[in-house]
Amino acid sequence: MVNLMSEQSIIRTSNLNLWYGEKTALKDISMEVPDRRVTALIGPSGCGKSTLIRCFNRMNDLVDICRITGRIDFHGNNIYAKESDPVEIRRKIGMVFQKPNPFPKSIYENVAYGPRIHGMNDKKRLDEIVEKSLRNAALWEEVKERLQDSAMGLSGGQQQRLCIARTLAVEPEVILMDEPCSALDPIATSKIETLINDLKKQYCVIIVTHNMQQAARVSDYTGFMYLGEMIECGTTTQIFEHPKEELTENYITGRFG
Amino acid sequence: MSEKFHTEMEVAKGKVLLMGHLAVGMLEDAVLALEENDPHRAEEVRKRKRDLSDQANALEEEMYRLIALYQPMAKDMRMIACSLRLISSAERIGRYGKDIANVVLATYSDQRFDDLVSALSLPHMASLVIGMINDSLEAYRNEDLTRVAHHSARDDTVDALRHTIFRDGITYMMEDPRTITRCTNYLMVARYLERCGDHACKIAEKVTYMVTGDQIEIR
Repeated sequence: MVNLMSEQSIIRTSNLNLWYGEKTALKDISMEVPDRRVTALIGPSGCGKSTLIRCFNRMNDLVDICRITGRIDFHGNNIYAKESDPVEIRRKIGMVFQKPNPFPKSIYENVAYGPRIHGMNDKKRLDEIVEKSLRNAALWEEVKERLQDSAMGLSGGQQQRLCIARTLAVEPEVILMDEPCSALDPIATSKIETLINDLKKQYCVIIVTHNMQQAARVSDYTGFMYLGEMIECGTTTQIFEHPKEELTENYITGRFG
Repeated sequence: MSEKFHTEMEVAKGKVLLMGHLAVGMLEDAVLALEENDPHRAEEVRKRKRDLSDQANALEEEMYRLIALYQPMAKDMRMIACSLRLISSAERIGRYGKDIANVVLATYSDQRFDDLVSALSLPHMASLVIGMINDSLEAYRNEDLTRVAHHSARDDTVDALRHTIFRDGITYMMEDPRTITRCTNYLMVARYLERCGDHACKIAEKVTYMVTGDQIEIR
């Protein structure tokens, strides 16, 4: 069990195994994710990091051949228990994907969509939520004059921040980010990274990234995965300066992968 | 890309070693000039100082270039951190060599008392220090920490020797005030050698960090 220092953990996985049909994708993963910190998952392609992050809000439920054992506790409750409601879990544990995927609607509607389907209809309250979410996603100043324009007209970086605002609108506790910058240019990437740093004051952020410099820049904790196993997990400083495992050392110094 | 980086890093490491050997060579030859009271050899050591500085600057620049282009991590980062410290220690060692060469040039014309060098055990002290530096450089080259395992005790010996030399020097000066010029210069030489021993320890500490990731202090 990887114990992340004395931090308050919000998510804990215990002996998590996952199979796609006959193929093992995750092997016996036990880790803790601290609240209000950024945790990065790194590892070569196919190591299971995206599979793992998708387990945290039950996105793998949508894959027919997927089978899971072990447990993931969120605030001490197993999210894979029968009585758990995946919709409610996904509200509390939001996700931002690799490619920005705004709805083909206005900027305003993109952000208001989530609160609306969760039953919020008060126009004034919705306006407040939209503004607050866009501000927290560092997008408000750029779009406040054109909230009714189509979201598809935004740049890639703006679209990605809109997706983050859309996630924030339903007041999650955890934000999962699967390669959030891989489709963005360096300036947009830098804005997202600054935003991630701000988000951790209020949220737990888990980020999957191929870019090791990015993991080093934005995260407090880093987990290195290889062939479905969590090889090493520790503070980002320790992993990048002085990893314990030779496999980690070889990966982050580019000797394989 | 990482293969290109590792090739460049190996090349840079080779150059750092060459610079280290240039520095230790300056120290060795300066001590030899001191023993033989040889101003030509001393002059020749002084001339190498320019090359030493140029190499130190170029290598420092090279390390910064590797950091800027490749953002090395873990062991690679530690190797660069170690190399940067080694470069500055080596430059100091070479400069102490030059300082000792200056002592030769200041004292050789007065032929009296030139046996004081060996009477004060300066060559013996120098050989201990040069051995430590060479072992530190060898540990850097092949990552073999057994080479530097006893640096702490060896440095204690060197420090003790400096105190002995200090007391002996004062005794000679009291016995015969005509030795004062040479003896004060030689006490400075003992001080330079002791500092070179400290740099050998500093290099050993940084090589240990490079190999294991642990920051240690050799005292």
